[in-house]
Amino acid sequence: MTRNTDTGDDSGDAVADGGVAEGGQRSGFSPIAALNERFGSDFVESSQFWLPPFLLVGLFVYGAIIWNLLISLTDFRGFGTPDYGDLDLQMYSRALADSGFIDAAINTFILLVGFTLVTLALGLGLAILIDRNIRFENTFRTIYLLPMSLSFVVTAQFWAWMFNFNNGVINIVITSLGLGRVDWIGNPDIVLWAVMFALMWQFAGYAMVVFLAGLRAIPNEHYEAAKVDGASTVRMYWRVIIPQLKGSTISASVVLMVFALKAFDFLYSLVGGYRPPNGADILATKMVREAYANLNWAYASAVAITLFLMTLGIVGPYLYYQYNRGNL
Amino acid sequence: MGTLELDGVTKVFPDGDGEIVAVDGVDIEMRDGEFLVVVGPSGCGKSTTLRMVAGLETISSGEIRLAGQRINDVKPQHRDIAMVFQSYALYPHMTVEGNMAFGLEESTDLSDGEIETRVADAAETMGIAELLDRKPADLSGGQRQRVALGRAIVRDPEVFLMDEPLSNLDAKLRSEMRTELQRLQDELDVTTMYVTHDQTEAMTMGDRIAILNAGELQQVATPLECYHEPANRFVAGFIGDPSMNFFPVERDGETLVGDVFDYSLSASTLDDVGDVTDLTLGIRPEDIALAGDSTGDHTFSTVVEVVEPMGDENTVYLRFADAPEGETFIATVGGLQQVSAGDEITVEIPEETVHLFDGTSGEAVHNREIDE
Amino acid sequence: MSNDARTDGGTVTEADPGASAGLLAGIDGYRVLLYLGLLGMLTFFLIPIESGLVTSFKNPSGVSGSLPFAPPTGGTFTFEKWRAAFDALGRGLINSALYAIPATVISALLGSFAAYGITQSDWKQKYKAPVLALFVAGIFIPYQAVLVPLSQFWSMVPLQEWLGFLWALGINNDYAGVVELVVTHVAYGLPICTVLFRSYYKNMSEEMIEAARLDGASIRRIYRRIVLPLSGPMFAVVLIYQFTQIWNDLLFTLVLVQTESSAAAPIVLILAGLGTSLEGQDFALRMAGAFIAALPTLAVYIAFGEEFAEGVAT
Repeated sequence: MTRNTDTGDDSGDAVADGGVAEGGQRSGFSPIAALNERFGSDFVESSQFWLPPFLLVGLFVYGAIIWNLLISLTDFRGFGTPDYGDLDLQMYSRALADSGFIDAAINTFILLVGFTLVTLALGLGLAILIDRNIRFENTFRTIYLLPMSLSFVVTAQFWAWMFNFNNGVINIVITSLGLGRVDWIGNPDIVLWAVMFALMWQFAGYAMVVFLAGLRAIPNEHYEAAKVDGASTVRMYWRVIIPQLKGSTISASVVLMVFALKAFDFLYSLVGGYRPPNGADILATKMVREAYANLNWAYASAVAITLFLMTLGIVGPYLYYQYNRGNL
Repeated sequence: MGTLELDGVTKVFPDGDGEIVAVDGVDIEMRDGEFLVVVGPSGCGKSTTLRMVAGLETISSGEIRLAGQRINDVKPQHRDIAMVFQSYALYPHMTVEGNMAFGLEESTDLSDGEIETRVADAAETMGIAELLDRKPADLSGGQRQRVALGRAIVRDPEVFLMDEPLSNLDAKLRSEMRTELQRLQDELDVTTMYVTHDQTEAMTMGDRIAILNAGELQQVATPLECYHEPANRFVAGFIGDPSMNFFPVERDGETLVGDVFDYSLSASTLDDVGDVTDLTLGIRPEDIALAGDSTGDHTFSTVVEVVEPMGDENTVYLRFADAPEGETFIATVGGLQQVSAGDEITVEIPEETVHLFDGTSGEAVHNREIDE
Repeated sequence: MSNDARTDGGTVTEADPGASAGLLAGIDGYRVLLYLGLLGMLTFFLIPIESGLVTSFKNPSGVSGSLPFAPPTGGTFTFEKWRAAFDALGRGLINSALYAIPATVISALLGSFAAYGITQSDWKQKYKAPVLALFVAGIFIPYQAVLVPLSQFWSMVPLQEWLGFLWALGINNDYAGVVELVVTHVAYGLPICTVLFRSYYKNMSEEMIEAARLDGASIRRIYRRIVLPLSGPMFAVVLIYQFTQIWNDLLFTLVLVQTESSAAAPIVLILAGLGTSLEGQDFALRMAGAFIAALPTLAVYIAFGEEFAEGVAT
């Protein structure tokens, strides 16, 4: 027989099929065998696939976050390199005393909650409309999802024009209804809601796609059973269908909140600069402005850590939930 | 050569805080070229056993030896074992030829020409030569099954493993393939371990049957031995359809006392029983005979509850005259016998056909007599 | 009475306001409402785009003097803004493609590797879960949390020296930024790619992989000969999704390339500052620029809408 394998000799494996390492002598300690023993039989051999990406993510994502935490404890600003010899929480106490930071944190929170709620609601409505056995379903769905494929930079251009005081579509519609013009971008009390509206326009299609997948996973019998039980369509959705969309709602909410935290691109492009319109400053924009416009590196890092913790507060429970359901 | 030995093979799965023992100290020795069918109810550990032999599951303790060599730590790709999966597991992007050549390309140094020849030969054997250029998606279920078999035989391995390979076929095709697989195994003479839950396959195909229950090996024997000389109550009940009737009885001197009947034993049977008093009496449905009158020692009057005519025979649900309604046992009688529900009939339970099992351990203490 | 009408499947059409007749399937009034709703939403989603499109073809008097969603009339029609926008953004198109395409391909490939190594090889779930959790969590990291270290990191890497041979060829050394963008986007795009591929590989037949192992193939060979050839559909999804994400991202370009006047400035960076000056805003120019920047992703979206939807839904 011409088999090139050797039953009965295990220690040759790791070397023979991929040259992972030199170890694995028949007698004596073998680190590879020990690793495989501990982690599972393919641990070492499969590492050629997952380890490089894992290291890349580990360094760039998690390494960077730790580094960022370190920088936030220094007083690093301007040019040069941070001094890691003198670490304290000064930047965090400075943040708490900075009314700009407090405002940005509050705005971030409002945007996060408001945007997520309205987008979920609109997305669910769209999904139900699409799911009602309509014609041209694909066309409708494609158009509803279209804004999602556009860059924040592009949609910011469109909405800057939509919200234009003199000749924007929104004000034209409002005046035709007999109301007065509103300075959507210029009024600090309104601008955040205007931004929220524009972001909802961009992401409602996303929520729709997620909900639609959830709706499609519900067996037809549930609709029919509810009908047979005498529920009206509205009550059927409210009592039978929507409660089954819990999973979709959770995943969509998490992703939407994370989008909201990243709304920097939109706000930057709306005005073409680091300073968003008054009343629309959020932590994401504040952080970048402190770092790249004001060179307050350490302070920006502290703001970034705050933002990171907010994200963690949202994503952490979500991952735990997914882990418990065996989805990891 | 391809002798395969399982020596105290055990598989333990962690389960939350505790563990589940899926396979518990299984000992099997297969001689070269033997066809062994592993059978048992679902969840009995038969597939896990097979997967341990394949190397797809680690072995918690015990040893598996192939041709005398311990293979516990040999990776599946180096075991020289071919396996046929329940789902066939064909590579959907490759042609039939590609599917069959894959194993040879990966595990041997054969030249392309040699591989081609061997694939062509194997395809000829399986009668799929004209399908070599097709993709699995273009094949019927039966054809896919043949390709899966062809993929296994082309490698000429030491051992074939088959995991319920016929369960996705319709009844007619299944019985065809059953015969064909037997013929093939005979011809190739390769040690084969075949897992199934179907007792027809177990009875008809294997040289020997290994019966597993709850991870424990119950008996390894020829099909007829398992049928007529079951090692314990589980095997007796598992093999045979309809299955053996069981009655709990207490031994009192020379008599077995049941809930609603007494059964006297001869001296030789009593010898087998020894001093066990808590017993189970077993009788196969076909061994229950219709008696003309109630004169014999072992005749009982019964009431017919249900009759299921099968054509060649009738399956009759009987109840002892004194037993409460619904407490039935089964007898099979000839298809031309006129029996109908409500009839009162006398049946005989001949002593030479009864089995006796220890009431607590389930071990067989006495098996039926075999003629000749 | 009203109960009867409902239980028989909504075929009764007699007046029964209690049953909210318009909502029962099969009734014309209800279908009309449904399509009106659908069309209303269609208008909502299209009007900003439509308004942008017509505005981009208007001259200044058209922009200020006509309704924003009305098409330009003969007198106010002009291609001028498109020409100007293209002049400003043309180089950005090429620069964006220079990093978006390699970064997309590399992150998709590495994501497929990682997902394969985690999903289809045999090591303990107990240890896989944390590795996977780190990948999944990586999807949600706000980039702000890594920006300062990222700038520090790239200022420490002597990329300018390493790429000296390129500058010797007469390539502007601003293009070091493009290399930085490729690496950065690969690193931060990997988590989502990995998760997308993992969901696909989890559904791949386990028995097929086991069959390949018993056929004697090593983990690397199984990937090369079985898994990779079967990954086509997921590669389509991931490539499309990643390309859109990378092309559309502004933040990294802002941090790594910094100025729109740079020779290597990507299109989003130029667009973000386009048409905004002290004299006021040139909306027609901004709209034309927005369309030019959106064209590649729009083209991809229209051609592969299904794959895009699948990518975002996962």
